[in-house]
Amino acid sequence: MMDKTRINNRQMGFMLFIMRSTIIIAFLPVLTSADALQDAWASAFIILISSLVITAAVAGLSQRFPQQTIVDYSQKLCGNWLGKLLGLIFLWLFLQMSVIEVRIYGEVITTNFMTRTPLTFVVGIIILSSAICVYQGIEILGRMADVLFIIFLLMVIIVLILPLTTFEGTNLQPVLARGWGPVIRGSLVPIALIAQVWVIGVLTPNLLKPERVVYTSLLAIGFSLFTLILIVVVVVGVLGAFEGSRAVFPLFYMIRSIEISEFLQRTELLIIFAWGMGIFISASTYLYAGAVSVARFFGLKSYSSLVWPMSISWILLTTTGFESMFEVHKFLMSEIYVPYGMTILLGPLILLWLVYGLRKIGKEKEDNK
Amino acid sequence: MLNWLQKMKNMFNKKNKTYTLEDLDLSEIKAYVKDLKVEQKLHKNITVINELLGESYDLSIREFKLAGGDIRGIIVFLSGMIESRALERLFHSLEIEIREVKKSTNKIKAAYKKGDLLEYLSQNILNNESLVKTNDFKEVFTDLTSGGSAVFLDGINEVLLCETRGYAVRSLEEPNNEIVIRGPREGFVENLYTNTSLIRKRLKIPNLWLEEMEIGDLSQSKVVIAYIKGLASEELLNEVKDRLKKIDIDTVLESNIVQEYLTDSWLSPFPQIIQSERPDRAVSCLVEGKVVILVENTPFVLMLPATLNMFLQAPDDYNDTFIVSSLIRLLRYFTFLVSIFLPGLYIAIANYNPELLPVSFLLRIASTREGVPFPLIVESLLMEGVFEILREAGLRLPMAIGSALSIVGALVLGEAAINAGLVSPPMVIVVAITAIASFTVPNYSMGLAARILRFGFLFLGGLLGMFGIQFGILLVLIHLCSLRSFGQPYFQPFAPLIWQDLKDTLIRAPWWSLRKRPVLMGGREPERQPPGQKPEKPSRIINSEEKDDG
Repeated sequence: MMDKTRINNRQMGFMLFIMRSTIIIAFLPVLTSADALQDAWASAFIILISSLVITAAVAGLSQRFPQQTIVDYSQKLCGNWLGKLLGLIFLWLFLQMSVIEVRIYGEVITTNFMTRTPLTFVVGIIILSSAICVYQGIEILGRMADVLFIIFLLMVIIVLILPLTTFEGTNLQPVLARGWGPVIRGSLVPIALIAQVWVIGVLTPNLLKPERVVYTSLLAIGFSLFTLILIVVVVVGVLGAFEGSRAVFPLFYMIRSIEISEFLQRTELLIIFAWGMGIFISASTYLYAGAVSVARFFGLKSYSSLVWPMSISWILLTTTGFESMFEVHKFLMSEIYVPYGMTILLGPLILLWLVYGLRKIGKEKEDNK
Repeated sequence: MLNWLQKMKNMFNKKNKTYTLEDLDLSEIKAYVKDLKVEQKLHKNITVINELLGESYDLSIREFKLAGGDIRGIIVFLSGMIESRALERLFHSLEIEIREVKKSTNKIKAAYKKGDLLEYLSQNILNNESLVKTNDFKEVFTDLTSGGSAVFLDGINEVLLCETRGYAVRSLEEPNNEIVIRGPREGFVENLYTNTSLIRKRLKIPNLWLEEMEIGDLSQSKVVIAYIKGLASEELLNEVKDRLKKIDIDTVLESNIVQEYLTDSWLSPFPQIIQSERPDRAVSCLVEGKVVILVENTPFVLMLPATLNMFLQAPDDYNDTFIVSSLIRLLRYFTFLVSIFLPGLYIAIANYNPELLPVSFLLRIASTREGVPFPLIVESLLMEGVFEILREAGLRLPMAIGSALSIVGALVLGEAAINAGLVSPPMVIVVAITAIASFTVPNYSMGLAARILRFGFLFLGGLLGMFGIQFGILLVLIHLCSLRSFGQPYFQPFAPLIWQDLKDTLIRAPWWSLRKRPVLMGGREPERQPPGQKPEKPSRIINSEEKDDG
């Protein structure tokens, strides 16, 4: 096995919560990627259910191989070549998710707060600080998740409570007026984005109680999507469905519109701050997952020497991968991302479970003989 | 040929080497003393002592005679290091034997002939605290220089070391750096025995173990490792002892010298070992399974492993009601953050994100900054720099000149700088608030860490605005999360998050609810007190009027 440092299950739960929340809350693809409009909460509910199923499948697989990373056991299950191919897919996935998230964050910072600072600089600082964290080990990452989770939770609470003064219940009506079609369409992109839970496959061997990984992940994902439902309701209630779906970042748009008193304006800075912390955790987790996957892919003993070169290339890819924010936006539209994301998520998942099931049946038959 | 020449040269050198003391260096003298044994002839011993201690003016050699003058002996001591009454007693008991008790004279003579007179003396006649027999000159010198007296007898190649220690010590005072409103007033002093007694009298159990070590070639300072056997984890103890044994230096003048050798990450601005002058503080660490290191000649004891929140605890927190204590704790955490972040935040907001401030407030700042020739970061560095200079000067100044400094500082620099338009008033306010906030940190070393970090955040805020502050916070958090003090996570119980230990961090829960010892401290005897001690209203009515009626 690689490094023996362990993290608490709680810490992984916090990591998953933060990862799942950062991208999906900031971007609210539930609202912006389709025309569910005021019924976005129903989409969020569908996301909740299906995410839990997918998470259970991913974590369940890891629970059956508690001492191995996903790169290891996919090779064990599918043989050398197919396994390596799957490993590459996961690697690509971690990279891409991280690129999208950090890029979105960098765009928010450079368009709203530091207009003259180059994007590379912002992205570089985020990824470099993640690299520093990852280089010190998974233990440090877990502890960072402990600390930052509290900040993140505070942000969520602020987001949920402050806008209540301008909350309009009528914005949420009529309920399901146009049937389930738009609702389901709205849920597709966020469901595809749950491909990020593959990091569970890398983190499991470092858990204190790998046998409880399913429980932990379900709890974390469940809670993060529950907050998503609440936030969607609040955003739609405050902004109205049309305005919300047209904004690039509906959440910031909403927070910016809050003005509780003369003194409490521009509270979105707090949100950006907490969100940046969340991005840091996500980027670190992806970087860790990526570095460990590469190390396992080539059979290296330690991943730490990979962290620096990887982080440099990630910075480059993040800044050059997309032309502009609108390209990211377009990429995350349902026509492109849903088929792509679903393939990358469900393909390996179904394959791995299938092979696992077949092998088990085969083994049982052998045992019976 | 060459080989032969070499041999010749060596022989030549050896012949020329005469052992006069002037030619020997310190380490050579040490090696020489190491093999030196006590001789039978008294005058030879006297020569050795005189030779090695030189013409030290405090060296006293007093002669005496035993058994009616038949046996000659000397007592050697260093005046000033001994308690004169103890020495008097020593002489007295020896003289009684000579003059008055004829019976014992014979016994002494018999013992002398047998060669175990020292044994006899120590068992029957002398009554000092400790009496050690040795024939090693190294031990003799160690004993002399720490206040003992050595009894040499003619014809015996051994010496009796008597405990007569007694030099000037400071009396117990309240520590200046850790003042409490309510709580014990006594603090540690420079004397090691006084210090250990201050701990002992607070923990009346045999399990309080005090292990002694000697560090320092020249100072030969005693270092005592104090812990509660059975409570402190053995791994921790072994680690502490191992690290202490590795220290090889010449002098230990203050406990910081030991601390720097024990620190895990020497580049960190955060102190990883906590020091205190208060015995109650030391004891409260001991009962949590921590280890206390006492160093001779300093009132500052080291307590380890330390965690960040220990540095923000003041003894008063435990001596007031928990509501007040909790609020003050929260205030202290807040001011600690203020002392680190405020100048950096001010610059970041005023420079990069002025829209965060309400308009009227912003206009006010802008109008005061009108005409100030420097950019904000230079202005703040200027003021922070002035404050640091004032602070350092105030520390070094004699008390009598102190008031002059405050006039110069407050009036000349503050008032005049604003009037001259060099600095804006808000900047002065920010620096002043930061300064006051930094004084609320109970531990001086942690205050220093905050000072260093403050300048870091000043630059980050000036260069990168809020984003820079965020980056700095991330870096500091990563550093805090990776720091360890003797294997213990430094940032616990925040990260790793330990719910149960949070009771005594940001707030201070009532005593009856602090049932468990810190989880990660070895985990021996996790329970501090049994449950169910929460005070409740009495079930019977006491002293009520109804009772009087009945």
